[in-house]
Amino acid sequence: MEESTPPPVPDEARRHDRRRLWGLVAGGVAALLVVVLLIVGLANRGVSSDIDDALQRGERPPAPDIALPVLIAGPGVGPVGATVSLEQLRGKPVVLNLWASWCDPCRDEAPILEEVWARYRERGVVVLGLDTEDLTEKALAFAKEYGLTYPSLRDPGDDSKRKLGATGVPETWIIDADGNIAMHIIGQVTSAEQITRPLDQVLAQ
Amino acid sequence: MTIHRVRLAAGLLLAVLGLLTALPAAGLALTVNEVAREVRCPTCNTPLDTSSAPVALDMKEYIAERIDQGWTKQRIIDGLVAEFGREVLTTPPKSGFDLVAWIVPALAVAAGLAALPFVARAWSRRRGSGPAPAEIAPEDALRLEEELRRHPT
Repeated sequence: MEESTPPPVPDEARRHDRRRLWGLVAGGVAALLVVVLLIVGLANRGVSSDIDDALQRGERPPAPDIALPVLIAGPGVGPVGATVSLEQLRGKPVVLNLWASWCDPCRDEAPILEEVWARYRERGVVVLGLDTEDLTEKALAFAKEYGLTYPSLRDPGDDSKRKLGATGVPETWIIDADGNIAMHIIGQVTSAEQITRPLDQVLAQ
Repeated sequence: MTIHRVRLAAGLLLAVLGLLTALPAAGLALTVNEVAREVRCPTCNTPLDTSSAPVALDMKEYIAERIDQGWTKQRIIDGLVAEFGREVLTTPPKSGFDLVAWIVPALAVAAGLAALPFVARAWSRRRGSGPAPAEIAPEDALRLEEELRRHPT
């Protein structure tokens, strides 16, 4: 049987194949980049449920690293405009309340938080407001209207909301003296006991 | 009668002049929506001019108050950025790292346009060339010729 040798591939065809391969590689890399950017973007926008998942497992997850400017100063939190972090409040139990002047349920729970602050501040507890996505003048008017004396930080965007795994406003977290989250209340606080019961447990430890 | 007509003409002239001076002013006056469409509602992520969320209403009130105080559009937008961060803008600023958001799509379009002639040439070549004719061995060619000679249709 006679073996026939394959005809030689012309140079132009080889060049064409090489160009095609490069085109495919460049297109593939570009498509991959777009997909990676989309995934990174979506992952950064998403709200983390890590804290709630850990709380459901009976754990006390560490509070996220939040450092924001002071809107309303208070003992250990100030002066206005200075950046204060949760880390700086380590050693004191913190009742962190996410609020905004445009949020109706916040109007109902503000007096409750003020009551908790009045009852527990002498025991080293810090009730700390976290005003979010709000106009400064409106937030200050809100605090004045409800006679709020506990300090508040201000987040211009939704960064702290995402870090805390908040899905809306208002929400409240009870953070122990070691900086770990002991409780997360989603929605409006309707009675002081909702906060003081877990807070007493945190203080007893 | 003549005096009456002159008065009427003068009155009309004044009215027309008044309209002419008022119209451009009305056209140039800054409106809330003009500013609102440049920013978004932080809680619902839609352009502010189409949003009626509580914070959006506060922001529109903020804009209206600043317009009344004679602020320029850019100053109001800067004020809202100071309040809510750069994320409040509907389009990223054309400076710093945000420039990437403007450059990348432009580069993608340019790359697509640049690739067009190459792609078109490749397509036309593929369509025009068709399958290459099979090469015939010299002995087969001789045999074929002989067969054709033997059977001339």
